[in-house]
Amino acid sequence: MANVPLDIEVLVVAALAPIFGVVAFWFLQLIFIEIQKWMLSKLRHRHEAFCRFTNFIGILFQTICQALGYTVTRSGIASFQVTVNYGKVQPKKEKTGVFEWIVHSFLLIGPFFIPAGLVLLVSYFVIGKGFAFPTPVYYTFVESLTDFGVSLFTFAHEFVGFLVNIDLFNPLHIGFLFVLLFFGLGIRPSYIGEQRKEKINLIHDLKHIKNHLVQKPLYILAIILIIYAFYILSLFLNPMLYVGLFSLFGWMSLTAIIAVLLTYPVLLLIKITDEIRTHWKVIPFITLAVSYILARVFFIYYPIKQVEKVSLLVMILSTLIITILLIKYKKTNRFKTAPKMKHVRVTDGKKRTFKKRAD
Amino acid sequence: MVRKELLKNEQIERVLSPHPLSFMKLQALCIFVIVWGIVVWWLTKFSQYTSIFNGNIWYPLILWGLVMLLIGVVASLVTIRWSIFFLYLCVFVGALGLIFWQHWEKDTALFLFLYSIAVSIAGFLIVELYRRSHKYIITDLRIIFKGGIFTKRERTIRYDKIADIDAKQGILGQIFGFGTIIPVSESGFGLGSDKTMAAGGVEIGTKRAKLFGFAGGGKEVQTPIARSYYELHGVYPYKDVKQLVEELLQTHVSTQYEKEQVEFQKEQVDIQKQMRDLLHKQVREKPSGKSVRQPTEEENTEENENEGKEKMMMKKNIAEEDTFPPEQVDIQQQMKELLKKQKITRATQPEEDEAEEEETEEEDDKNKEEGKEIA
Repeated sequence: MANVPLDIEVLVVAALAPIFGVVAFWFLQLIFIEIQKWMLSKLRHRHEAFCRFTNFIGILFQTICQALGYTVTRSGIASFQVTVNYGKVQPKKEKTGVFEWIVHSFLLIGPFFIPAGLVLLVSYFVIGKGFAFPTPVYYTFVESLTDFGVSLFTFAHEFVGFLVNIDLFNPLHIGFLFVLLFFGLGIRPSYIGEQRKEKINLIHDLKHIKNHLVQKPLYILAIILIIYAFYILSLFLNPMLYVGLFSLFGWMSLTAIIAVLLTYPVLLLIKITDEIRTHWKVIPFITLAVSYILARVFFIYYPIKQVEKVSLLVMILSTLIITILLIKYKKTNRFKTAPKMKHVRVTDGKKRTFKKRAD
Repeated sequence: MVRKELLKNEQIERVLSPHPLSFMKLQALCIFVIVWGIVVWWLTKFSQYTSIFNGNIWYPLILWGLVMLLIGVVASLVTIRWSIFFLYLCVFVGALGLIFWQHWEKDTALFLFLYSIAVSIAGFLIVELYRRSHKYIITDLRIIFKGGIFTKRERTIRYDKIADIDAKQGILGQIFGFGTIIPVSESGFGLGSDKTMAAGGVEIGTKRAKLFGFAGGGKEVQTPIARSYYELHGVYPYKDVKQLVEELLQTHVSTQYEKEQVEFQKEQVDIQKQMRDLLHKQVREKPSGKSVRQPTEEENTEENENEGKEKMMMKKNIAEEDTFPPEQVDIQQQMKELLKKQKITRATQPEEDEAEEEETEEEDDKNKEEGKEIA
């Protein structure tokens, strides 16, 4: 049992530090997700299938979160349905009051953390490093915040270090990369339907969450009290627990941010290749794979240190150069329209042809 | 080529073929072989477990073959298609045969890696050929299904023979916009059954008396199933094709509205018959009375030319209406009500053919004229 000084900063203020940290990272996560959504919306008209795929992953996670909410509240699951356009979960028993509120909380906040939590679990087995919990000594606000920061920094350092040195010849590593990209495209709480009927963005999400929280202030108060009781208990039993719990949420946010950031180059590459002529647009994607394989084979005969890192660099640079060259010399001269012309049909919807003018 | 096979006055609405990703179940078998080949190569050459495989040159082959056959059994049980297991068995036996024949025992891992890639590429090509052998022709009279690489199969179904339509779209189909439509015929072509069976044996006793217990169960569910060449398999764009088939189906099936129309016409014919009988009766009873006969074309022309006369006649008719026998008045009343009812029903059916409207109007006019003449 630790010696806890009787001080207002120790008993009240220090408890807030990790919460601030988690909220800050969560906001950061929201901003990165918003950028991803913006990038996807720019791709939508040319890559409908890709956008439908990302939609499906997002909806899948949302539906899983809702189902998890019903399971936690012991409402049971009567039906579970996930399609590309919507997800539907029906409980066996319709519970009201606090249970209903918990289910809604899972639905609104769950998609931010649950997919990221799954990636975190996978990364624990693949990376296995950087999961450190610093022990507080002075129990101050600044110390709690610093501990939270240190915990996150250690994790981020190991995670990014792994990604930089990723061995794409290792099936485990390449599998993890795919999981990261897959989840990165799905860590998106807002529903984007087939047609954009209303503006669903960061403000929309926040408004919903705020309304949800404001509706039941008593529940919020109860949660705050539970957290505070946990803090006091951890002070006397094991001070590492409290910061550790919030560090876990911080890691989830960080994982989500890294996953979302990883999807940016992919989305960017897809967007850029639209500028290249039809058959040439596959060249950058082929270069991506071939350059890495060639680099690795080359370094087998001429070994150097940090082969994986250098091979990755070669892959990125060669893809970049090839893409720039293709844009310069093989740029599409096709007249581009917002919707694909082959999708434009005459009013009877039978023939694939250009829309006739009214005149 | 397709035109030659069409019937007289038959028109093609659409010619379709399956989407490249619609045979993903078959393509997944090839993907597994290629991925597993790479994994085995990595495990034996580059992983931390390399030392395990250095002991015996057959270890990579045993691992590769066992896992592949195990996956084959599981996939066969899940999909209820033993062909998957036998396919993987053939691949395994092929690898074994090649190793013995060409004496490639020295580097089995590399051989398995290259062999897996070669087999997968061959598999992808066969699947693609199979996909390309399919052709679906939707005409205004029927749907023609064609398929098969070596044995050409064909099915033709007329819209009026379609009893039911089953449509399904998987996740991949939802993403890429393709789906499968199975037209179930009245004879049940397009319906199949999923059978599941569970069985187990228990042996009690070791030396003489052996008891053997067997428990089993079966379940059969009728479900729309057809071979890919007997259904519109993985057609793109799914929604448009489905709508087209539904529309064509509706045009060949008598709807509720059409049935009502037929009933109306029957009633109308009955009333007209009654009217004719009554007129005959009147003529027989009062031969010296007002002559009632069908108007000739000349008379009609005269009436048209002389509007004044016609008006006078109409006035006379109206005046004489009071003198009709009660049966005739009843029949006329019935006729009016029927026509009124018909008009009301038509008002609720806005999507009516103009031609039909014209026909009914003509009939109405005719009836009115007949009524006038009768009067």
